[in-house]
Amino acid sequence: MAETPYAIEMQGITKRFGKVVANRDITFAVRTGEVHAVIGENGAGKTTLMNILFGLLQPDEGTVKVAGEPVHLRSPKDAIRLGLGMVHQHFKLVPSLTAAENIFLGIEPQRYGLIDRDAAIAQVHALSERYGLRVEPTAIVRHLPVGIEQRIEILKVLVRGARIIILDEPTAVLTPQERRELFRILNGFVADGMTVIFISHHLEEVMEVSATTTVLRQGEVVDTRPTASLSKSELVRMMVGKDISFDRPAHAGKAGDPILEVSDLWARDDRGLKAVRDVSFEVRAHEIVGIAGVAGNGQGELAEVISGLRLPSHGAIRLNGTAIDAASPRAIRDIGLAHVPADRMERGVDRDAPIRLNMLMGRHHKAPWSRHGWLNSEAITATANDLVKRFDVRTDSVDRAVKTLSGGNIQKTVVAREFSQEANFLLVDQPTRGVDIGAMTEIHDEILRRREAGQAILLFSVQLDEILTLADRILVMFEGEIIGEVDPTTTTEEEIGLLMAGVRGDAAATQGSPGLPAGAA
Amino acid sequence: MRFFRSTFEQSIALLLALVIGSLIIVGIGENPIVAYATLLDGAFGSPQRIAGTLLQSTPIMIAGMAACVAFRSGLFNIGVEGQLYMGGFAAALIGFSLPLPWFLHLPLAMIVAVIAGAAWIAVPAFFRARYNANEVVSTILLNYVAVLLTSYFTIFLFKRPGGWSETPPILESSMLPTLFEFSRLNYGLFIGLALAVGLHFYFLRTVSGFESGTMGSNQRYAEYGGVNIRAKIFRMMLVSGAIGGLAGGVETLGVHHRFMEGFAPGFGFDGVIAALLANANPLLTVITALFFGMLRSGSLLLEVDTTMSREIITVLQALIILCVSAQVRIGRRGDATAGERRWKY
Amino acid sequence: MEVLGDIFNISLLAATIRTTVPILLVALGGAFTTKAGIFNIGLEGMMLVSAFFAVLGSMYFGSAIMGVMAGMIAGMLTATLFALLVVTFRANEVVVGLAINILASGMTIALMNAIFGTRGSIISRDIVGLPPVHVPGASALGQVAQVFSGFTPLVYVAFLLVPVLVIFFGRTRLGLYIRVAGEKPEAAEALGISVARLQYIAALFCGALAGLAGAHLSLGYITMFTENMSSGRGFMAVAVLIFSNGDPLLVLAGCLLFGFSDALAVRLQTFDIPSYVVQTVPYLVTIAFLFAFAYRSRPRVFREIFDKVRPASGP
Repeated sequence: MAETPYAIEMQGITKRFGKVVANRDITFAVRTGEVHAVIGENGAGKTTLMNILFGLLQPDEGTVKVAGEPVHLRSPKDAIRLGLGMVHQHFKLVPSLTAAENIFLGIEPQRYGLIDRDAAIAQVHALSERYGLRVEPTAIVRHLPVGIEQRIEILKVLVRGARIIILDEPTAVLTPQERRELFRILNGFVADGMTVIFISHHLEEVMEVSATTTVLRQGEVVDTRPTASLSKSELVRMMVGKDISFDRPAHAGKAGDPILEVSDLWARDDRGLKAVRDVSFEVRAHEIVGIAGVAGNGQGELAEVISGLRLPSHGAIRLNGTAIDAASPRAIRDIGLAHVPADRMERGVDRDAPIRLNMLMGRHHKAPWSRHGWLNSEAITATANDLVKRFDVRTDSVDRAVKTLSGGNIQKTVVAREFSQEANFLLVDQPTRGVDIGAMTEIHDEILRRREAGQAILLFSVQLDEILTLADRILVMFEGEIIGEVDPTTTTEEEIGLLMAGVRGDAAATQGSPGLPAGAA
Repeated sequence: MRFFRSTFEQSIALLLALVIGSLIIVGIGENPIVAYATLLDGAFGSPQRIAGTLLQSTPIMIAGMAACVAFRSGLFNIGVEGQLYMGGFAAALIGFSLPLPWFLHLPLAMIVAVIAGAAWIAVPAFFRARYNANEVVSTILLNYVAVLLTSYFTIFLFKRPGGWSETPPILESSMLPTLFEFSRLNYGLFIGLALAVGLHFYFLRTVSGFESGTMGSNQRYAEYGGVNIRAKIFRMMLVSGAIGGLAGGVETLGVHHRFMEGFAPGFGFDGVIAALLANANPLLTVITALFFGMLRSGSLLLEVDTTMSREIITVLQALIILCVSAQVRIGRRGDATAGERRWKY
Repeated sequence: MEVLGDIFNISLLAATIRTTVPILLVALGGAFTTKAGIFNIGLEGMMLVSAFFAVLGSMYFGSAIMGVMAGMIAGMLTATLFALLVVTFRANEVVVGLAINILASGMTIALMNAIFGTRGSIISRDIVGLPPVHVPGASALGQVAQVFSGFTPLVYVAFLLVPVLVIFFGRTRLGLYIRVAGEKPEAAEALGISVARLQYIAALFCGALAGLAGAHLSLGYITMFTENMSSGRGFMAVAVLIFSNGDPLLVLAGCLLFGFSDALAVRLQTFDIPSYVVQTVPYLVTIAFLFAFAYRSRPRVFREIFDKVRPASGP
């Protein structure tokens, strides 16, 4: 084996999907025994690159070297054999299996042709102890919190003997405290001589944990530099290609009358467990209220209850003075709700239907778009064309199926439909998930314009920066409760982080440095 | 719901099915060219035979419309056969038992057939709408029950004295008029065609039809957009069952003029697969129904002229569905990976 | 009381075992596809094709064993066709399942006509049926013996398969992987386990067991083939699978229920109830069972009830 300080070298990697070039001539190297960050915007090609490195995709051009040896990775099996391990962004655990069964999936210890459960459990215990990754091997994964699931994913990689660990956006689902715990574990790995590749679009994390950083933009490498030599604003420039200001836009208006009033609200999730607990708040005209929190702390259920898609188990909701807690989605829309749903493909569009019908869904039954139960095609097309223009949805015809649009344009279609409703309350759930930075800016501007127009806006987002930039007040949800309220102009990430982790009370009292957390996406 | 790809690819698949069918015919020891020629001759060889083809197509077409309504709304009503039997029996019951003037009798018999079809699907529809109970299995199993039950009624309660297992003939006042002297072909055909046109405009042009179609392609989106899902599911299943009942009513009032055991074997199923083949498009279903009617009609001559049994066309139908169902894109590989597919039913 | 005694006696138990077995065999086959994440409505057709070829094999080779083998092979070939379309060509499962059923029905009749020149059924002295197995010493137990002795071999096979499948899905790699392929295909793919291959394997197992079920129909108690003789048992098995999610013990429980209702219905026939009515009983029981299960697993509407004194806090 050739002597080389590099664990991984990627040279001239190009990968195309149809006409789209996801990776263009990418070359960079990862030094053995350090944390190497790969940072870039959504859509910069990070995940594609890592899938190539892990054998999930084959590059169209270029070579991959592991420990100086050129290798041909046809499948993840090859990568695993070479000591690579990957912790995916979306966990690939099987809910009905135990932690140990998940960890050993594919390499189960066997005895007499049957799976040797005891041996697996013993090994999990041993590894847990060695790296401080506490996991109960016999627990069924379905019942475990996300933080533990990630540990299981990491253990999965370790039992396969990985010495080079790739983590794809590992912190997206973690609280700041869980994140710190993860970094401690990663540092333990490095101390043990292992190599870590850390993919993120979050600047601060990268600055905190990595020794070297490679920046990707639009499928190309911008540069690879020691992290210590980089400043935050420099990193942003490299990522985005231009300067981005983190200033909060000025807000002149004063909050007006309450539009949405939620009091003592409880709701259960699909499994019948309490998901929203005793939530009370109001949203006023001319106001954006942000709901922050780690994903899965009841935000989804709360949004569903408000929009009429889920029945509350207790409490009252009033919209424009009318009780809506038992009303149908259509009735609530008629009273004044517009709703950008969290998952656009699942709730937000009919992907096979043309854009024009998707643009009018929810008011298609009203004049002029329909009369006496008959759709009025001309009116629908006219309105759709108008919205496509106003919201800059990139398409050549409103007759095209929605699925032909890019993710950002689909999201703009949803936003166009909802923001053009005659509704004075906007429920905006993860408005910029997975869209490019251009579309994100446009959507943010549109949200701010709605506020200036006097609408009341409830903004759910798991992206803290988004909430900090847009909201006038921030409510933090933890395990279904609103655990605290903070003022975005005076709060710190530390304060919100503690609330997101469920630490309430005076420890997190507002006092403050006005510094805003950075991060462009 | 969309089951298949483009028309061009469907044609290729159709051709493939006919080729495989030929191989099977060769395997049985017959000449496929002769077989297909005999089929065509049997279906179109004379005005009588053409009328026979249309006659066979009529119940398939109406049953196909029943299936279209369900499939478009994302519901699998595989129980059209059962609804057809119930409708057929109910129409006969009204037809032979009530002496009424024709302008009351015929419509009443049709309406009762429609109600019987809707009633037969009502319980599965309720449980599907309210509790999300799988409608595929419940509607299929009810087919068996419908066939047994109508036989029981016919033989034990309403048997024509001295006759075989059949009801007394219906009164003339309840009969659907025939179109020609030489065939039993009747106005039922126009009922089928009118339904197809009506459903076409329903799905394309009406608010309710748009909502049904949206529910069929993305139920959660339809719910979000203000569609009352439970009510809609229940209604659309009832409508589907009602049309299934109508198919049976037309068959009784227009063709057999009585109900008898095994009176419309497989028409409901043929309707279901005709709708599948047409991707649940009502106008295309007319064409696929005519095609299946042609096969059925031609198979009668096939059985006379060759050693083959008419079930060979059932095999052919199944092969066509199988070939057309394959989601193969010609010229380019499919883009969905296993991970993107939804395996759960 | 005497009437009830006539109905509910030890021979009803024996009859239940008899009527349970064909559904059990085909449902256990369906457990494989269910676990692999495929909704398999084609069980009915797989079973029917197998019943036909079991008779054919038995006559041709003059051996019941060869008949069973022929049935299994036919079932596996049908299952391969199913998997080819559903897995490789990504066709809609319900559509393919239905087409398989139609194909099976048409093909067996057409072949029957082509080979034997008959319609309706194949009855022949040349069909060698499966011999009953007499458990040694069973006769000493008198009446009770009939619940575990004197059945054809596939009855014992069916019941033995239940624990075998429990172990297979819980404790073997292949069984575990099939479950993973169905529950979380991306997890399998990520580990380099081919979901498609596992689904093919599951389909083959499914076809083999459906083949046994078919062979049991045509070579078990009666040695003949009749048009559409599977008469909806494959669909009943699907109902069992919806309820059990393919767990072998639940499959057994569901099948026993249907077998019992079937046996009971047959018993009722002796009370002058027309066979047309009696025959509807198993279907109606299955449907009722399906609905009851859906009702039980319905999404519930909750109301929180609070203790007035203490401020509310959830579990």
